[in-house]
Amino acid sequence: MTAYGVLRSEWVKFRSIRAMLGCLAGAVVAAGSYGYLFGMTAAREYLGGSAADRAAFDPTEPAFRALVLVAVLVSAVGVLAVTSEYASGTMPVSVTAVPGRGLLVGGKGAVVALTTLLIGPPLALLSFTLSQAALAAQGAPSVGPGYPGVPGALLGAGLFTGLVGLYGMAFGFLLRRSAGAISLGTFLLILPGMASLFPKPVARWIMTWWPSAAGSRIFAVHPGTDLLAPLAGAGVLAAAVAVLLCAAVAVFRRRDV
Amino acid sequence: MIELRQLTKKYGEVAVVDGLTFDVRPGVVTGFLGPNGAGKSSTMRMILGLDRPTSGSATIGGRRHADLPVPLREVGALLDAHAVHPRRTAADHLLCLAYANGIGRRRAEEVLGLVGLADVAGRRPGGFSLGMKQRLGIAAALLGDPPVVLLDEPVNGLDPEGIRWIRTLTRSLAAEGRTVLLSSHLMSEMALTADHLVVIGRGRLIADTGLEAFVRSAARQEVLVRTPDARRLASLLRESGAAVRPGAKGALMVTGMSGAEVGDLAGAHAIVLHELTPWQASLEEAYLELTGDSVEFAANLAGAVS
Repeated sequence: MTAYGVLRSEWVKFRSIRAMLGCLAGAVVAAGSYGYLFGMTAAREYLGGSAADRAAFDPTEPAFRALVLVAVLVSAVGVLAVTSEYASGTMPVSVTAVPGRGLLVGGKGAVVALTTLLIGPPLALLSFTLSQAALAAQGAPSVGPGYPGVPGALLGAGLFTGLVGLYGMAFGFLLRRSAGAISLGTFLLILPGMASLFPKPVARWIMTWWPSAAGSRIFAVHPGTDLLAPLAGAGVLAAAVAVLLCAAVAVFRRRDV
Repeated sequence: MIELRQLTKKYGEVAVVDGLTFDVRPGVVTGFLGPNGAGKSSTMRMILGLDRPTSGSATIGGRRHADLPVPLREVGALLDAHAVHPRRTAADHLLCLAYANGIGRRRAEEVLGLVGLADVAGRRPGGFSLGMKQRLGIAAALLGDPPVVLLDEPVNGLDPEGIRWIRTLTRSLAAEGRTVLLSSHLMSEMALTADHLVVIGRGRLIADTGLEAFVRSAARQEVLVRTPDARRLASLLRESGAAVRPGAKGALMVTGMSGAEVGDLAGAHAIVLHELTPWQASLEEAYLELTGDSVEFAANLAGAVS
């Protein structure tokens, strides 16, 4: 019973879940189409804006907004890695093969984290490229992938999606049902999008500290100073994911399979 | 060797398994019997570390399942044949168990051949019959060549050929010196397969005994007699202290006397006998008699008929 063996075993399981392909294909479509749409919207704002607006225009601002929506699908990948086992009834079989519950969560986590980490930068690059193409097509300023801060943001996107994959996996262990885990995970991920519905201090707190909002700071090319710095923001998301994972391991250990 | 000591599982106040203590020994097939809801599956799940006992312990070779360094090499189990991912090929189903226990692809292919599924190794079990899923589950149980094998209702849904295959397989596993615990509701099948029986009802141990001793102890021994002079023989038997009741087609069913005693009595009075058969109760009769009180949802036959 080795960590390497458990990892191989989890990889065999992971690659045979068909919904994974759907999620990943969906993530590609979401990254591309939303990247393009956010680019178009930003271009319209630029063209209709005042001279001051135009001077302050940041072409990288729409580049990675699509990742917040991509995160919903990445989280679902993490959820399904767990709930597919409960749905098919194979969890007891898995646990008889790997009785160490922490080891099982660890192996699954490593596969989910590695996969979602690796898809982050290409998805971010896709979103970036199409957003800049949309800006350029409309005659607004655009930048290339070598623009200062962009390579770092692309790599940061991998960290973001990797953490979101683990976030989904934790909900999978906690709730055991695909529908419940995906719904709750999604709701909590996109909550910052509804921040404007709340009173201003609450909205401000959510935009600063809510894990998904804080985590998205990692791909801010011009972070500014009014919100958390990129690494601090990623740290908040990482801390939230760590808490969820600890809860997942604790519950998985205590519960009968 | 599986050892249970005061094994108990409670959900709130309800004890599903209540202070079970017994050993499952190597080299024989131990049949695990009990009515629905008696706690058989819960017991097996606790042996396998899936459910946590409320108190007591279940060990395999002296160790709890959680403490086994390479579990599939110590114990293999088939709990639920339906527990396969419908889109994961038969080979992959075995591989994800094998890899975790340091078992290679070759052994996975070997056990697929052993259960007769070599030709469908690359197919997805979504389209498998129940019999094929049972075979896949048994392949998974045998993956690590374990000295202890637990099979929960392995013959469910199998055709006669498959049932016979399981019987031969379990007998040969025991003959190789392995510990085999087998649960089934098919009494006739159990009578052919098991050497030893553990019977539980309402979570408690009812019997832990050899198959033959179980049948002998539980059911009346009767002797069937046919004679043209039934009335006279019946009164002679009653005078000698035996109980007599009418059997099918004019036969007499005698209890309290051996076949030899009945024959001697008839001979002494020059009564012609056409048939004299010691009537051995079946495992099913013995089982039903013993577990009658512990059936969870007993159908009231008497009430239904009258």
